[in-house]
Amino acid sequence: MPEIHFLHLFQGIATMVASDPLIAFARILLIALGISFVYLGAKGTLEPLIMIPMGIGMASVNAGVLYLSTKTMGTIFIDPIAAGPEKLVDVLQINFLQPIYTFTFSNGLIACLVFMGIGAISDIGYMLIAPVRCMIIAIMAELGTMLTFPLAVALGLNYKEAAAIAMVGSADAPMVLYASLLLARDLFVPITIVAYLYLSLTYAGYPYLIRLMIPKHLRGIKMDQKTIPNVSPAEKITFAIITGTVLCLLFPVAAPLFMSFFVGVIVREAGVKQYVDFLGGTVLYGSTFFLGLMLGVLFEANTILNPKVILLLFLGMTALLLSGIGGIIGGYIVYWTSGRTFNPVIGIAGVSCVPTTAKVAQKEAHAANKFAMILPWAMGACVSGVISSAIIAGIYVTLLQVPTP
Amino acid sequence: MESFWGSVKLMLFIYALAAAISLITAWMIKYIFVVIRMQKSRAEARKSAKAANAPTQGGAAPKGTA
Repeated sequence: MPEIHFLHLFQGIATMVASDPLIAFARILLIALGISFVYLGAKGTLEPLIMIPMGIGMASVNAGVLYLSTKTMGTIFIDPIAAGPEKLVDVLQINFLQPIYTFTFSNGLIACLVFMGIGAISDIGYMLIAPVRCMIIAIMAELGTMLTFPLAVALGLNYKEAAAIAMVGSADAPMVLYASLLLARDLFVPITIVAYLYLSLTYAGYPYLIRLMIPKHLRGIKMDQKTIPNVSPAEKITFAIITGTVLCLLFPVAAPLFMSFFVGVIVREAGVKQYVDFLGGTVLYGSTFFLGLMLGVLFEANTILNPKVILLLFLGMTALLLSGIGGIIGGYIVYWTSGRTFNPVIGIAGVSCVPTTAKVAQKEAHAANKFAMILPWAMGACVSGVISSAIIAGIYVTLLQVPTP
Repeated sequence: MESFWGSVKLMLFIYALAAAISLITAWMIKYIFVVIRMQKSRAEARKSAKAANAPTQGGAAPKGTA
């Protein structure tokens, strides 16, 4: 029988003992953080759809470090920096999550799949109730996406990194993933994790912002339900095909996102039930699950030791806070211009994050006045937020990334 | 480090451009909607006018039968 060393048998512990103390500490911290994400996700404090797979991914990848050769340590989950065809083929056969990363993550496909699902569950008819008002709110709710950009530059990030983290203010995690992949590939993991982490907290944080900025009598304003038009599926399809094509024409770099969103919308309105179930169920939740899992396994100790992560945490929070404030200001602008008949709480729904912010708005209005029904308008502002975020992502990427002749 | 003032100018430009495109999109949606509604109501009006002009059963006798 060969001589058995305890540390050779349990390599997760051996690599922890052998590695730099700082790395070992970061691994322990991330294992604990992963476990707490699972706990808070299961409890409902954080968004369970993302946090449960992300948490288990984080805990597993930081625990499961082994010796890949006598001198190198690593995992058999994923190798995000594998480059070159030969190396890539090697890792595709060894790392079990590598195929998903290589074929859906590094090219942004997973963000597009999520967008198809979002399109299939979004009723754009709500946007047609008051398109201009909804868009004014959505533009104001991009305040964080805008102001965080120079702030990040002032704090030492370059333009591309600053734009990528500023996109957190758009509160649209697939969009953040897509933009950060194109603009700041080295930082896309921490930026996307920051985005998902904060977005799962919006449900808890934004109600306080609403109560702070809007007095109770305004939160309870009732909206006139008679102004909701009856929009036919043909009208919605016309809107989707024209808007999608025009936006693709203006921003080819974001065309995959536009196409994905509007194909979901069109499939829904065309009444193709099989596709609606497929995109709004299997594709949306399958992609969200793998998105969470991949983000978790990409969150290794080295990621948290990057000094820029603390900065990203601060900037991400600032972006979402400013966007929330901007959205409410937008709600006030429409309230004043509409002869004080518009409920300003709808402003928070301009911060995209379909449909979380719309639900938050409805919940707060209902808490102030049990007869206040604002969900259709809030959904309209939410969908407008998706469109304005995609436009801003398109402008950022085109200006900062795309080569010009 | 890239210029802070440069980023402020860029931010203002991007915000203005995004706002303009978003509002144009919203107006476009609004007018598409209005045009569709107008066509619909015209078609309905034409349809009802046709129905009103059409001979009713048991009304005027067909030509050549008198």
